[in-house]
Amino acid sequence: MAEEILLDVRHLTHVFPLGRHGSVKAVDDLSFQIRRGEIFGLVGESGSGKSTVARCVMSLYRPTAGEIWFQGVNLCDRAACRAHRTMLQRERQLIFQDSTSSLNQRLKVWDIIAEPMRIHGIRPPRGTYRAEAEFQMHYVGLDAGYLDKYPPELSGGQRQRVAIARALSMEPELLVADEPIASLDVSIQAQIVNLFRHLQREHGFSILFIAHDLAMVEFLCDRVGVLYHGRMVESAPTSALFQRPLHPYTQALLSAIPIPDPRLERSRTLQTFSPDLASLDGVLVKEEPDHFVLREGGRP
Amino acid sequence: MKRSILRSIGIKVLVFVVSLLILSAAVFCVARLAPGDPLVSYYGDRVEKMSPQERAWAEDKLGLNDPLTVQYVRWLERAVQGDFGISYQYKMPVTEVIAQRMGNTLLLGGVGLLLIFGGALLLGSFCAWQEDRWPDRLLCRAGTLLSCIPEFWLSLLLILVFAMGIRWLPSSGAYSIGGEGNVGDRLVHLILPLTVVVLSHLWYYAYLVRNRLLEEVRADYVLLARVKGLPRRAVLFRHCLRSAMPTYLSILAISIPHVLGGTYIVETVFSYPGLGTLSYESARYQDYNLLMVLCLLSGAVVMLCNLAAQAINERIDPRIRGERSGMEQEVRTP
Amino acid sequence: MEPVLEVRHLTVQFHTPSGTVQAVRDVSFSLHKGEVLAIVGESGCGKSVLCRSILKLLPDTARLPSGTILVNGVDITGYGEREMTKLRGKLFSMVFQDPMTALDPTMTIGAQIAEAVRVHQPRMGRDALRQRVLELMTLVGIERPAERMGLYPHNFSGGMRQRSVLAMALAGDPAILFADEPTTALDVTIQAQILDLLRQIQRQLGTATVFVTHDLGAVARVADRVAVMYAGKIVEIGTAEEVFYDPRHPYTWGLLQSLPVLSRGRETLPTIPGMPPDLLHPPKGDTFACRNPYALAIDYEEEPPLFPITETHFAATWLLDPRTPQVTPPVGGGLHG
Repeated sequence: MAEEILLDVRHLTHVFPLGRHGSVKAVDDLSFQIRRGEIFGLVGESGSGKSTVARCVMSLYRPTAGEIWFQGVNLCDRAACRAHRTMLQRERQLIFQDSTSSLNQRLKVWDIIAEPMRIHGIRPPRGTYRAEAEFQMHYVGLDAGYLDKYPPELSGGQRQRVAIARALSMEPELLVADEPIASLDVSIQAQIVNLFRHLQREHGFSILFIAHDLAMVEFLCDRVGVLYHGRMVESAPTSALFQRPLHPYTQALLSAIPIPDPRLERSRTLQTFSPDLASLDGVLVKEEPDHFVLREGGRP
Repeated sequence: MKRSILRSIGIKVLVFVVSLLILSAAVFCVARLAPGDPLVSYYGDRVEKMSPQERAWAEDKLGLNDPLTVQYVRWLERAVQGDFGISYQYKMPVTEVIAQRMGNTLLLGGVGLLLIFGGALLLGSFCAWQEDRWPDRLLCRAGTLLSCIPEFWLSLLLILVFAMGIRWLPSSGAYSIGGEGNVGDRLVHLILPLTVVVLSHLWYYAYLVRNRLLEEVRADYVLLARVKGLPRRAVLFRHCLRSAMPTYLSILAISIPHVLGGTYIVETVFSYPGLGTLSYESARYQDYNLLMVLCLLSGAVVMLCNLAAQAINERIDPRIRGERSGMEQEVRTP
Repeated sequence: MEPVLEVRHLTVQFHTPSGTVQAVRDVSFSLHKGEVLAIVGESGCGKSVLCRSILKLLPDTARLPSGTILVNGVDITGYGEREMTKLRGKLFSMVFQDPMTALDPTMTIGAQIAEAVRVHQPRMGRDALRQRVLELMTLVGIERPAERMGLYPHNFSGGMRQRSVLAMALAGDPAILFADEPTTALDVTIQAQILDLLRQIQRQLGTATVFVTHDLGAVARVADRVAVMYAGKIVEIGTAEEVFYDPRHPYTWGLLQSLPVLSRGRETLPTIPGMPPDLLHPPKGDTFACRNPYALAIDYEEEPPLFPITETHFAATWLLDPRTPQVTPPVGGGLHG
């Protein structure tokens, strides 16, 4: 069961045209797999193409090249997508970074949570949609008092919980979380990360967790892929990546995690990364089981 | 680089011509579908006494009994050669009729537009500067009230007070009889229509400027400019106004036709001999040829203003101008 | 030595239609020359308001009902906009969180820096001005400044923009620099570079710096002293070593614990339960009491004063009262302590 592959991204490339003046390659020949029940972290800085990957996986963008297989359906095949439309819409759910703009400000919290069920015409198992919304809210740690509130009345962490409840109401197989904690305070980040971990244990769904730094990823993810300028530079089980980072960019990212110890931190020199350090024209080489790193010319 | 500019200009010209063609066809058909008798505008009351034979002859003479498509193609052929036909009412070439009146409208519209443009900028900046203090509040209230008054009503009110009541200003026309060359006389006749044109549009644009400026004032860079030590007024005028200008200019360019439309109404009320009264008459009396040219002229102005708006935006905002080079120059931290 | 900046019992309120928001409550601290003071707290704790109230950049709805602000011993609390305009840029300056919006998009970087220089030296010649702009750009680590001064903000990456903002902030040689979350909007690998840059500039120019952030982890690298803010109050203040190695306030413990680096190998991250209080109607007693696992009965009745621990270290918690039982802090002593 654990080895069953839920999402298989093969040689994904996405190019954004820039008017008449050329184009930008946001994602370049990217391949990764997410197993059933796994939390896969995709880490990269701004402009690395991580959000583009999320949107391709959610079929919001049509990839320029490559294939994305989800539950045996190729998402790049229009006919297949149409045939499995309901399944695809229910079993993939997305959570955005900015909970201010991703929740409709004019809807009450319980309406927001119940909306996907209404759209799919699902009869609420607990009688009414309101009761169902209440159940989901309780599940993500919000009490019933928030049912009739509007998103602007909530704090960032609470809004993100509402977004999670909305996604979970469809009981998805895959949750794509695009920087869900990036705009939250550190202490709230920890709460949301705990929530993700807890919910994943309960439901057994898979998460594609996108982040711009490695700090929280270590705590949440089973495996991590590091993106740089649209290319995967390293991918490994979390513990292996943190203990033996092989690519200089991964090392720089790890070095950027601050250590809350003044004497240690001040004496530490940070590892920086410039594109000259490693060429992006390599191929992923297997260094140890499950641990791949981008090497020039395919040589370790 | 040069070729792409030429190409984009070519595309714009093509779109312009095609739009004019479509507009002309539409106006042509709609005008003829409207009820009414075009012969009345040519022959006046005599039409009523005409025998059917005379009518048929008259219609044939004006080319009105051919099928619509034939009429349109004939009009188009002549129009391309610069012959837009004669005005039924004035019995002279349409272009001449329009040329006589054009100056008056340009004077009213042009001066009006300049006053609106400058006045709105001043008033808007002043309100933004005085944000939420009493001058701003007072102006906002008064302005909103004023802009809600319909033009024709305001015109009648002003005529009632200044022309009928205290008799300071003339109520209609562009000049007194025999006073065509007298500049002072013209100006006196211009005051009331101009007041209406300016008053009815001024606040709309002033409010636009005010709100755009206040939006900019809330931006972070204004805070930074103040942190640098610039006084609030300098920030408002040096940074905010500059950022607000492209939006203002482009909206203004788009709304030139709107202002002109206003002058048409004002002209009619004040019997001001401009294109507005002319359009009104030509539509009312089925003066087809005149109506066609007036509509095409208005259409051309609308499209040219929109193109101007776009050009202004591209010129002023470096983000639009440098879209392509911006991507190439993206500088990353060393 | 006399402090560059001294804030005494400062309170900031916002008058809103639904009532008075107590954004900053009775805050006192001082800042010495060449020192980096970090103010740490969650969003809405009043840390940004505190900075802006010192620079008098708050909207008109803000009131300062009590407190004094002394700069080099001069009381500037009552200063009006005209007097503040003279001080801004020269005496204190500020760097903002989002360098994307902090720059005027319609002006070149060079022109914006030049503007900041000219505010303080209006009679500077063209060449001297250009020289000064290049000097500032080099100071903040922008390479090939001559080429880049003609570029617009949208040509720059986030890190470069923040460096440009810093150059503008430093144009008037300010004695105090306020940095309001200067690294939050940046890429992680750039964040550390900007922090190092702040530290280096502070050493080079002797600028006293107030560094505001929500990330306690980021503070260890740059701060000499740390103030932890919660619900508009400073709950703990001390040198970086004191706060990190010997934290005394339960809120500081919570902040430290929720850093993932300190929880390696554990199943769940320790968190601070609940949420910050509503500053429109702050609860009676200690505002942190309902989130505090160590709360005592008195916490719900009376606000704790700042108890001194050492000459430089203070914390506002009843746990420090000699009458209360001793509690062993769950964190502290550094990473390997």
